[in-house]
Amino acid sequence: MKNYDTLIKDLAPKKFGKRGVIWIIFLIAIIIAGIIAYIDQIIKGQVVTNMRDYALWGIYISNFVFFVATSFVGSVTVAILRLTNNTWRTPLVRIAEIISVAAIIMAGITIMIDMARPDRILNLFIHARLQSPITWDVIIIPTYIVISLLLLYFPLLPDFAILKKYFKEEKPSLSKRYGFLSLNWTGSKAQKILQEKSVKIIAIMIIPVGILLQTIDAWLFSTTYRVGWDSTNFAPYFISGAFVAGVGALVTVIYIVRKIKKLEYYITDSHFDKMGKLLVLACLIYLYFNINEYLIPAFTAKKGEAVHLDTLFTGHYATLFWLVTIGGLVVPIVVLLFKKGRKPLPMFFIGLIVVIGSWWKRYVIVTPTLLHPFLPIQGVPESWRHYFPSLHEWLITIATLAMALLIITLLVRYLPVIPIQRTADEQELLKTDKNTKS
Amino acid sequence: MRNQLKFRSIFLVILCVFLLVTGFQQLYAQNAKKNKVRLKAQYVKIMDGEIAINIKATSKIKKKNIKVANLEITVYNELEDEKIKLGTTTTNIKGESKFVIKNTNAIKADSTNTYTIKISFKGNDSYKKASKSISFKDAVIKAKLITKDSLNYISATLIDKSTDSVIVDEGLAVQVQRLFSPLIIGKAFNTTDKNGTILVPIEKGIPGVNGNLIIEVVLDDSDNYGTVKALVNAPIGTPIIDESTFNKRTMWSPRNKTPLFILIFTNILIIGIWGILLYLITNLFKISKSKI
Repeated sequence: MKNYDTLIKDLAPKKFGKRGVIWIIFLIAIIIAGIIAYIDQIIKGQVVTNMRDYALWGIYISNFVFFVATSFVGSVTVAILRLTNNTWRTPLVRIAEIISVAAIIMAGITIMIDMARPDRILNLFIHARLQSPITWDVIIIPTYIVISLLLLYFPLLPDFAILKKYFKEEKPSLSKRYGFLSLNWTGSKAQKILQEKSVKIIAIMIIPVGILLQTIDAWLFSTTYRVGWDSTNFAPYFISGAFVAGVGALVTVIYIVRKIKKLEYYITDSHFDKMGKLLVLACLIYLYFNINEYLIPAFTAKKGEAVHLDTLFTGHYATLFWLVTIGGLVVPIVVLLFKKGRKPLPMFFIGLIVVIGSWWKRYVIVTPTLLHPFLPIQGVPESWRHYFPSLHEWLITIATLAMALLIITLLVRYLPVIPIQRTADEQELLKTDKNTKS
Repeated sequence: MRNQLKFRSIFLVILCVFLLVTGFQQLYAQNAKKNKVRLKAQYVKIMDGEIAINIKATSKIKKKNIKVANLEITVYNELEDEKIKLGTTTTNIKGESKFVIKNTNAIKADSTNTYTIKISFKGNDSYKKASKSISFKDAVIKAKLITKDSLNYISATLIDKSTDSVIVDEGLAVQVQRLFSPLIIGKAFNTTDKNGTILVPIEKGIPGVNGNLIIEVVLDDSDNYGTVKALVNAPIGTPIIDESTFNKRTMWSPRNKTPLFILIFTNILIIGIWGILLYLITNLFKISKSKI
């Protein structure tokens, strides 16, 4: 067991290495390319995208849905594991909170990118109709951003106080900043009561709000009368999909952070084993909803829906559909059912496949449906009946993904990715340390 | 110097090409083949209403029937030895025009009591001249609504006005005016009997604004009489109940007509969640104040 000083030394934020700097430059370069493309989109209008009368939602919306889904990781791992008293969650929760914050912020930005006139965003509030799911989305996303930030911030207070002390002599300016963020945390009884009470409230609240977020996201689709979306199954289908995307992203990020920050002592194989079990559970539930979503319509499909399903099963989108279903869902389930599959490295690859599969899954949900309206649009060019994102759309979308990774990277750089105080409390290091010293 | 010469010759070549092209265009324009116009005319008389000639102009261009717009057409009343100009009309974008004969006394019949109307297009740069004549006799439909044994009927008699005699064995249609196309009642054609009369029962339950129906008795495009229409106002329909949700609170109403359950439920959620969030934010202030 490590002593308190070693613990702080291990877990305190460290400077970027050479690889870290290159990574940051790489992300910034992608973001700049995306910003240039976005400025061009604002100047020329959305004609630079391949969205037309048929595909009026494109890659931006599927990307938005992916971000919203990934942000669910905060509700799943942090809140649910906390409320069920799973103590193994401790080294994982902070990373989950970071991913959640990055994903939901990017979801908000992505939806603005999809607006042809972002200067009219205020109209969404001024002229909001409470009957519209778009309005519910406009309300729930800022709400979830605030909850995610609070969920990240409250447990950080004691750690900021520790870091203030730790960097006091070595880096006084950094120490000052941590001190400011620690809100004068001394660990007094009154502060602890307030903090614990607040964390408990957020942990309870983030579950219904998270479910509400995913539900509203699903209702954005299912309240429109379109093939493939007009389903009562859609909200649980989205929630279970978000469960998969969130845990997949968590596993991937945890593996990288553990390797780069050399946290093998704190994030053990056992953690990956447990995360693997959680991911396989998520995948099984999502597979069940997928079967419901596609098998029953395959039996009862009317003409319009049959055409849509044919496109997915054997038609234009068949390769993508089966890749995301088998590659992104069935294969992870099979691999993760074996103990060897739940080792860190296989888990990393599975997590990566799940995340990529989750992203393309949203594309499969959004695009094919739009290309099969009940009433064909007349008098439009043939090319409008097909959709593949334009260069502008790819550059902007990849930039939003890079921005999410940049937020995660910067938060991982400046925040203790494993809660220091909580780890110490759990290991009773302070007590042991004090006893040894006396 | 050489360059200047070169530029001059290039300029001359370009000028020649321009003049040649322009010349050819004029040449082609003069020899351009004009298209034929096909004119159609239909005489329509509405009892106690207007009398009009409905005109249609089409042309077959590249094996397709095109509706010809903006054709100026002159309408004449032809007699044995004279041709009286009634006026002119121009076809619309659908190639159609309606020439209303305002003064019915303006048209005259020949010795056989037949009226002849000629429509004529004198031709233009794109189309050859064309004309069409139609002949008809004046017919009258006398229609009324009758009720027998609490059943409603339309009774109509078709009369040749020139001879003041009834017209036998002619098909009349009975229909109710609707928004887009009329609703036929009974058979498509009801043949007039020896009295020149038809009797058609009107079924119950036909919806109408305030229960009013406008029933048409139509002699449609007859070779001898053209189209004659009599309108009967019949207050025998089922009144249309306005089912508009315009003033109701619905999911598709504007924001000031949001359903109450949405207003209440959503606001409870928003106030509840943001209330807790504000409480949590105040907790942050409390933490920063309570060091001990």
